[in-house]
Amino acid sequence: MASHAGDLPLAAPSDRRRRGLARFGRAFVRQPVALGAGVVLVTLFLIGLIVPTLVPAGRAIHLTPDLFNRPPTLAGWHWFGTNSLGQDVLQQSIHGLHATELIAMLGTLLATLAGVAIGGLAAYRGGWVDAALMRTTDALGILPAIFIVLIFNFYATPVTTITQTMILALCLWIPVARVVRAEVVGLRGREFAQAAVALGASDTRVFFRHLLPNASSTIIIAGTSLFGQLLLLEATVEFLGLGESQLLTNPTLGSLIGYGKVQGLGMGWGWWTWSGPAFLLVLVLVCANLFGDGVAQALRPTARR
Amino acid sequence: MLVFLVRRLVFGLVAMFLVLSGSFFFWTLHYWPRTPAFPAYLAWLKGFVNGHSLSTGLLPPPDAVAPGPAHLWQYVCEPFGRTLLLLLVTFVLVVLIAVPLGTLAAARRDSTFDTVLRVTSYAAWTIPAFLVALILQDGLAALSGGWGTDLFPRAGWAGECPGGIGLVFDSHRMPHCPSAGTGLTHIGLVLYHLTLPALSLALGFIGLHARYLRSALLDTLSEPYIAVARSKGLSERAVLFRHALRNALVTFVPVLVSDFGLLLGGSLVVDIIFRLGGLGEMFIDALKLTVEAFVPVDTNALQLALLLGAGLMFVMSVLGEVALWFVDPRTRPE
Repeated sequence: MASHAGDLPLAAPSDRRRRGLARFGRAFVRQPVALGAGVVLVTLFLIGLIVPTLVPAGRAIHLTPDLFNRPPTLAGWHWFGTNSLGQDVLQQSIHGLHATELIAMLGTLLATLAGVAIGGLAAYRGGWVDAALMRTTDALGILPAIFIVLIFNFYATPVTTITQTMILALCLWIPVARVVRAEVVGLRGREFAQAAVALGASDTRVFFRHLLPNASSTIIIAGTSLFGQLLLLEATVEFLGLGESQLLTNPTLGSLIGYGKVQGLGMGWGWWTWSGPAFLLVLVLVCANLFGDGVAQALRPTARR
Repeated sequence: MLVFLVRRLVFGLVAMFLVLSGSFFFWTLHYWPRTPAFPAYLAWLKGFVNGHSLSTGLLPPPDAVAPGPAHLWQYVCEPFGRTLLLLLVTFVLVVLIAVPLGTLAAARRDSTFDTVLRVTSYAAWTIPAFLVALILQDGLAALSGGWGTDLFPRAGWAGECPGGIGLVFDSHRMPHCPSAGTGLTHIGLVLYHLTLPALSLALGFIGLHARYLRSALLDTLSEPYIAVARSKGLSERAVLFRHALRNALVTFVPVLVSDFGLLLGGSLVVDIIFRLGGLGEMFIDALKLTVEAFVPVDTNALQLALLLGAGLMFVMSVLGEVALWFVDPRTRPE
């Protein structure tokens, strides 16, 4: 009977992580809507990744003259119609989709990393570091993000994918930092963290091996909800025409909507020049939000939507 | 409460000062990289006292006596007032529609109404405000039968018929612009012109806040004191309105106010699309005219716009806390 302690399954960390992942996977699969949204998102991303490499932007622009300014038709794959320059709106939209998704994904990653770093540092150090970082966060958060994005975009011309990503991340790390700080402050006082400190673990080890993995569900939830916000902000800025606006070589969904609307009024293009990209944008946004909610539900089964 | 308010006020003023100073250094380093920044900063601070930092760089209107501080206030404050009115109308719309919808959805949980509301509110929240605005502008405004030729004005404030719609900048104006009216007619006309913009801005927030209120109410309805109220023999209506709704508002009011920043951000775009001449149009025109017509950027005007935006956000956050103070005594700090 003395060997009972040895019978207890003391799982290795990697093993524990795998079990956590499996539990998350099982909880996620139980939500068909979120699963479907995720499948649509991945499909759209793959389409955006593959199609532009097969059909470069410059190649399919000039069609035969009788295909100028056509409403949507199934013939010849012009599902979203063509504009009065003879550009296929579907093809433009897929190019735009790719740029938009790339910016949104990289921006989310960057903003989440920055938020975790700043919020985590503030919570872990406490004291004046916490006060200084959080008061700075509050001061920055007093302005709506779109003001800052507009001004930075204006001065960062020509805006490229990289600069656009960085500007958006610069404006949107604030909510992540707040959430992460609150979570880490709560975790820091728990017994396991104090035990790790008492065992002589270094600051980095306590933070990266004990606090961060336990805060991971919070971070993932914040990140997935950030993705939708970033997508929306990016589309809005691009729509206003102050973003990355190389329309022929590198359109985004927002700039296509804005451009289609503007030129539609001036040059007599039809409604389809902006409603095609708008449809794709709404599809991506709906799927991103549904997916994010599904992830949150799977990680936090107790929280009610 | 007073101590708390004073602390918040001091913090807000410091934050706004920091934001303004940051924008000053940003612009100074961009336009005059060789100027020593600190003396320029001192001169700029002094300019707030004697008015130089509040004067505009744009050409004065023909009837202005001299370009000066008064001119800049007129240049920025009228747009700000219009944005404020748009936000107010939107806020009223959101509260008036979201609260009954959320209450009804919670009272008839899992009914057809609840499901339909959940799906539509989700869709409404997901569609960007600028797309809703475009759709309403092309749809509702294009229907004939209103006071003019259309059911709703496609763009512009009362008495103004801006050339072009949305992003299209066009100096061509409508030949017969209806007058802005006076007195009550003017107020009616302003609201009439604000209907579509406020609706397109409010739609997403109505869905969002109806959902918030629904979940807050459901949480409240599962509390023991609701069971007590029911067992006392109170009618379901009394339980819902007098006991549950009042407690659910405690969690609902802060959320409502904290989303004000999103509302302000959305109002910029809606303002531009409907050419209301608010803060958004001012902001974008200041930046876009520079790109298109090589007019120098009026950094003073942009700074004042930033200041007003930040001030509005700050006032709203304080108002939210004061509202919470009144609704929920438990949150009062000792």
